[in-house]
Amino acid sequence: MDRFTIILWIVTALLFIFSLFKDRKKTVKALKMATGLGKSMLVSILSIIFLIGLILAVIPPATIAGYVASKNEFLATIVSAFFGTITLIPAFIAFPLVGTLVDAGVAVVPSVAFLTTLTMVGIVTIPLERKEFGSRFTLVRNCLSFLFAILIALLMGVFL
Amino acid sequence: MKILKLIKVNFFAFLVLLAYLVLMIFNRNLGIDSLKNSQYYLKEMIAIMPPIFILTALLDLWVPKETILKYLGSGSKVKGVFLSFLLGGISAGPIYAAFPVCVMLHKKGASIRNIVIILSSWAVIKVPMLLNEVKFLGVHFMVIRWILTVIAIIVFSWITSLIVKDKDIPEADIELPLLAINSKACIGCRLCTKNYPQVFKMENGKATIIKDYKTLDEDLISQTVKACPANAISYNPETND
Repeated sequence: MDRFTIILWIVTALLFIFSLFKDRKKTVKALKMATGLGKSMLVSILSIIFLIGLILAVIPPATIAGYVASKNEFLATIVSAFFGTITLIPAFIAFPLVGTLVDAGVAVVPSVAFLTTLTMVGIVTIPLERKEFGSRFTLVRNCLSFLFAILIALLMGVFL
Repeated sequence: MKILKLIKVNFFAFLVLLAYLVLMIFNRNLGIDSLKNSQYYLKEMIAIMPPIFILTALLDLWVPKETILKYLGSGSKVKGVFLSFLLGGISAGPIYAAFPVCVMLHKKGASIRNIVIILSSWAVIKVPMLLNEVKFLGVHFMVIRWILTVIAIIVFSWITSLIVKDKDIPEADIELPLLAINSKACIGCRLCTKNYPQVFKMENGKATIIKDYKTLDEDLISQTVKACPANAISYNPETND
């Protein structure tokens, strides 16, 4: 566990104990609510996790990097943005991964497009997002995130 | 029929399971690789989600609606935008960890714009990942990416709030209502209105709950719930307090 996850646990534990002292009944209710929340999301989250594992095995990021490196920058940007969209990788892995891409000779613009869509847009999380926020919200948020991810990437190319 | 219903409810999970089955039959090694890849994400989920769920529930019960509305509501302006970036930025975990938190915040009055900011910054602008980004991509890269991304999020969260309205987002049922009727399931048979006319009435061919019923008779209500042929009535006595 990284430092911030440990902090998250400690903060939660402290708040929980505080809540327990202030109102026992309310805290028990909170626990019930938390388990209810967990149950309602468990199947969806597990599906997301195993789907990510599968996608990463079928299309390893190294293959993408190899493919993208040999193409012109525009095409590379589109391809890497799309690949980033399909899967969802936590920032914790995304940064080293993009670091490897840049080291392997992929230009900055496709790498940034990849990084942003990787974490912000996720086809794999769409079913869950739709369930929680509705179709309209999910569609608009993901489309806009995709467009702006490319825009950020292009501007990065100008500044770097 | 029951299996079909189960598949329909968990369609996405079913597709993933099917993909794994196919993979295991035709390319076993790739299937095993996939499972190995999933391991990391599984561990991450177990480390992040329990405290997230408990925090969400605690915030839901302790923080009054007015507070959320004041700090993250549509009237919160710059202050709300800043707070949303802070909330998303300091958080740990992948974007789906933000879903229960944001659903709860929206239920309590946070604006769509601020929800989008929290979700997006939760995904890409992470203070916990700052050093990581510097280590792998350099300070120069990090600073420019942060500035551009913050500007982009400010702009597209605003666009989202123009297109998506509060009513587009389904009501969060974190807290189960004491008594509810699933109007999609109701077949309009009127049995409930006959069994318990003080609580149920018909409206446009569907049963509804009379808003200001006094007290519920435990026996009568459970009888009515059981009698409904479409199982459209849900009664949650635990919510009663």
